[in-house]
Amino acid sequence: MDILQALLNGFGVAFQPFNLLVVVLGCLVGTLIGVLPGIGPISGVALLVPLTFALDMPPGSALILLAGIYYGAMYGGSTTSILLNIPGETSSVVTAIDGNKLAKQGQAGPALAMAAWGSFIAGTLSVVGLMTLGPLLAQWAIRFGPAEYFALMVFGFSTLSALAGKNMFKALIATGFGLMLSTVGQDPQSGISRYTFGLLELEDGMDFLVVAIGLFAVSEVLTILEEKTPGALRAQVGRIFLSFKDFMGSLMTILRSSVLGFLIGVLPGAGASIASFVSYTTEKRLLGARGRFGEGDLRGVAAPESANNAAAGGAMIPLLTLGLPGSGTTAIMLGALVSLGVTPGPQMFQQHPDVVWGLIASMYVGNAVLLLLNLPLVGLFVRLLAVPAWFLIPAVLAISFIGVYAVNNNPFDLLLMTVFGLLGYLMRKLDFPLAPVLLGLVLGYLMEINLRRAMTISDGNLGYLFSSPIAVVLWVLAVVSLFSPMLIARFRKQGLGGNDEL
Amino acid sequence: MTDRIVGMLVLLLAVGYALVASRMQVGFLSDPLGPRPFPYIIATLMSLSALWLLFKPDPNPTWPEPRFWLSFSLVLASLVAYAYLIVPLGFILTTTLEMTLLSVLFGARWWQGLGGALAFTLAVYFLFTEGLGVPLPAGRIFG
Repeated sequence: MDILQALLNGFGVAFQPFNLLVVVLGCLVGTLIGVLPGIGPISGVALLVPLTFALDMPPGSALILLAGIYYGAMYGGSTTSILLNIPGETSSVVTAIDGNKLAKQGQAGPALAMAAWGSFIAGTLSVVGLMTLGPLLAQWAIRFGPAEYFALMVFGFSTLSALAGKNMFKALIATGFGLMLSTVGQDPQSGISRYTFGLLELEDGMDFLVVAIGLFAVSEVLTILEEKTPGALRAQVGRIFLSFKDFMGSLMTILRSSVLGFLIGVLPGAGASIASFVSYTTEKRLLGARGRFGEGDLRGVAAPESANNAAAGGAMIPLLTLGLPGSGTTAIMLGALVSLGVTPGPQMFQQHPDVVWGLIASMYVGNAVLLLLNLPLVGLFVRLLAVPAWFLIPAVLAISFIGVYAVNNNPFDLLLMTVFGLLGYLMRKLDFPLAPVLLGLVLGYLMEINLRRAMTISDGNLGYLFSSPIAVVLWVLAVVSLFSPMLIARFRKQGLGGNDEL
Repeated sequence: MTDRIVGMLVLLLAVGYALVASRMQVGFLSDPLGPRPFPYIIATLMSLSALWLLFKPDPNPTWPEPRFWLSFSLVLASLVAYAYLIVPLGFILTTTLEMTLLSVLFGARWWQGLGGALAFTLAVYFLFTEGLGVPLPAGRIFG
C-alpha cells in the first residue's frame, strides 16, 4: 500500500511541533475570518501570505497554514449565519435559511453542533478523496504536453467563466482582464517589455498579492462603507449539543452533500458557494415532504455546511495535481507556493512528497482541531463580534498595507492596490466576478508559455493543439461547459444565488 | 445603460491593448510565435464579450446616495496620500492617521478612533519589525 506508507510519512511531517502549531494557527485564523462578516477567505489567505515569507516558512508549512485558513473559514462561516442571519462567508448564505429559523426556535445549539459535525465528516471524507484520487490524477497528467496544458487551461477558464458569476460574458471579460494583467512585464521568451509604459516598477509584472489584496480586501472595505453595517453585534449561544437521533437523521444528508460538494469543488470555477447552494437544493428536492426545509430543518444546515467543506478539500486536487487552481483562494496558494520555490503540478507528488502528504495529513489533523475548537469555543468566537466595526475594518486595512508594502518594499504597490480597490468596488457593483481576474493573472503566464512551447514544437502549426485525444476531449469539454449556465439556471430558479467569491 | 458604457470602455481597452501589441519590436531571439499573438487572443475574447454587453446589458445597479461618494473619494484620496507619505513620514504616523480617518467614517468619535488606531499601529509595527523582521519605514523626517 503505497498510499498508506506515504500518508504515514505525511503524518510524520504534520506532527512536527512547528507544523502542528501552524495547523492550529491556520484553523484559528480561518475560524475568525469565517465568523467575522466582511473578511472573506480570499482576503484572509492573501493577508497571511506575507507572514509566511516573513517567517521564512518552508513551503510545506506555508501550504498547511494557508489551507487551514481556507477550510477553517468554511467552519466559521456558519456561526453568524445561524445566530444572526448574517452569513460570515458567501458559502454560508444558504445555511442562514434554516439555521437562523432554528436559532429563533431556540435550537441554536443543535444547529451549531450539526454545522460542526457535518463540516468535520465532510472535511475528513474530502481528504480521503484527495488522498486516493490525487495521485491517480497526477500519474495521468504527467504525460501532458504543452498542447494538453493549453487546452486544459482553456477548459478551466471556460468553466470558471460559465460558473463564476450571474452573467457569463462579464465573467469572460473579468478572465480576459486577468490575462491582460499577466502579460504586463518582461516577456520571458523574447526579453522585451510589454505594457510597462516605461514604469520600472512593472518590469517584473504585477504581483498577485498586490492585486488580490486590492481587489478583495480594499474593495470589501469600500463596500462595507457603503452598506454601513451596524457597529457591534451581540449574540447568545446556548449549550452546544446534538442528540444521537438528530445526528442519525442527518447522516445521509451529510454523506450525500459531502460527495456532491467534493465533486463540485474539483471543478474549476465552481467553488464552495456553488457547492453549498446546489447541495441544499438537491436535498430539498430529494427529501420533498419529509423535510421541513425553509422552516428550520437541521438537514438544511447539514447539507450546505458539509458541501462547502468537502468543496474546499476537492479544490486542492486540481491545485496539487495539475498546478491549476480553480478558485481565488487556491490561486493565491499557487502564487505563494511558486514564490516559495515549489511549482505545483503532476510531478509534485514525486518531487515534493513531504509537501503534498504533509498537507494531506495536516488536513486530517486540522479537521479534528476545528471540531474541538468549534464545539466548546463557539461562544468565545461569537464574543468577537462585539468588537466594533469602526476598529475592526481599519485594522484589517492596516494589515493589508503591511502585506502590500512588504512584497517589494515599494510604496508604488500601495498605489496599485488602491487602483485595484476602486476597480474591485466597481466590479462588485456591476456584478463582475472578481475571482477570474486573479486566476487570469496567476495562470496567464503558464497559459501563454504552453501555447508558445506548443507552437515551437510544431513550428507554428495550429493543428498541433488538437493533435492528441486528451487535448480534443478537453477542447470539447471547454465548449460544452460554456453552455452549463443554462443547467445552473434551472437550479437558480429557486430565487437564490449570487456569489462573487469562490 | 451602465452596462453599455462599461461595454464601450472594455472595447476601447481591448482595442488599445491590441494596438500596443502590434507595435512591439521583436528581436531575433524570439520563439516562432513571439510576444504578440497571446495579447491578440485576449483582445479578441474581450472585444466579443464587450459587444455582447452592448447588445444585451444587465439592468442598472443601484448606486449609493450622493453623500456616500464624499466619504468614498475621501477614502481613495487618503489611500493615495498614504502611498506617497509612508516613506517620508513613516509607518506609525501615516497608518495612525489613516486608521483614525477610517474609524471616524465608520462611526467612531475622533478620540476613540485615534486611541484605537495608535494602539493598533504601535502593536503591529513592533510585531512586524522586531518580532518578524519585516522592515517598515520608520520615517525619513525622524531619522
